[in-house]
Amino acid sequence: MTAIQWSDGAPIYRQLKERVIAMMLDGVLKPGDALPSVRQVAAEYQLNPITVSRAYQELADEALVEKRRGLGMYVTEEAAKKLLANERERFLREEWPVVLERIRRLGLDMQDLVHPAVNGHRGDA
Amino acid sequence: MNAVHSEAVYSDAPVVSARGLRKLYKGKPALDDTRFDIGPGRIVGLIGPNGAGKTTALKAVLGLIPFEGELKVLGRDPRTERDDLMKDVCFIADVAVLPRWIRVREAIEFVAGVHPRFDRAKCERFLLNTKLTPQMRVREMSKGMIVQLHLALVMAIDARLLILDEPTLGLDILYRKEFYKRLLEDYFDEHKTIVITTHQVEEIENILTDVMFIRDGKVVLEAQMDTLGERYVDVLVDAGRLEEARALKPVDEHALPFGKTRMLFEGVPASQLAGLGETRIPDLADLFVAVMKGTYA
Repeated sequence: MTAIQWSDGAPIYRQLKERVIAMMLDGVLKPGDALPSVRQVAAEYQLNPITVSRAYQELADEALVEKRRGLGMYVTEEAAKKLLANERERFLREEWPVVLERIRRLGLDMQDLVHPAVNGHRGDA
Repeated sequence: MNAVHSEAVYSDAPVVSARGLRKLYKGKPALDDTRFDIGPGRIVGLIGPNGAGKTTALKAVLGLIPFEGELKVLGRDPRTERDDLMKDVCFIADVAVLPRWIRVREAIEFVAGVHPRFDRAKCERFLLNTKLTPQMRVREMSKGMIVQLHLALVMAIDARLLILDEPTLGLDILYRKEFYKRLLEDYFDEHKTIVITTHQVEEIENILTDVMFIRDGKVVLEAQMDTLGERYVDVLVDAGRLEEARALKPVDEHALPFGKTRMLFEGVPASQLAGLGETRIPDLADLFVAVMKGTYA
């Protein structure tokens, strides 16, 4: 029996979705691979099937998986590309502004960033 | 039955609809103007302290006791149409009802004889996953094995409403997990409805689609599980922000060691709470404790 510790910060369907995405990013799930059935996941992780369907539906909405009639859900060919695009978009939207703000505050210029000082005494990294 | 009727049967009409249920036990109300609806394709947890009226409510649904009020189960009144209703309803109670002398083989014979929707092959297939053999008698079985037999018999009946009253009481954790796994893998689908009572809330909370808290014969909370996180937020309030937090009227407050206070909010937007401290979605046990506070006092 597989034990998963769900955190209580986010809804479980989203955690399940993130888990599948992580498996895609790690190459455990590759394009063309089948996802386990909703019933299987629900039974194994003791989740209600609606939660699992919702996670799968969101993955399908983002074109990371596709439904093949009568067969189930499969990782799409473009999933890897999509994920990379998503991750880039997220980085630029969420992480980069924070980093940029920090760069400004520390007064680092292009030269410092591309060729960091060997001793590192100008930054705190 | 004509086609119009069978179509109506698979609509979104509630599977159980209760209004103003009343039942007195020795002058004390076990059901007190109880009202609730249970939709098709749901897995509903009926949760309450001992003596809150859970089993009484289930007995009413099964037509096992007289009561006052309006109750429709799959469109039928359990008081007057019980025989008809029992073709579509199954239940497992915490008090095992299988006679001790009966063999697995005989139990299957019996259910096959009395229930028109029993699928013998299915039942035998379910039993292949267990250590039960056709010759084994109930009295030779452990509590966990008896529940396995019971579950195999019940899951092989194509019923639309399954009622489980403390189904895993007294089972060890392996049997309990297996019980719910089998239920989800081999039984449940969107045309079926399951109602479960249990005290082991944390074990079933992710399985449930809906939850009902019952206290003193009344339903005090009825919610879809996926909306709980929008409705309730648990905040670990920083010491300096207590007054600010209290102004938002928490439904429960609990001081913790090292200066933090846990507060439970209902219907307060998360954006308003974010600055007060760490927020999280409360689990059912937290909610239960908050809602039932003072029950035994």
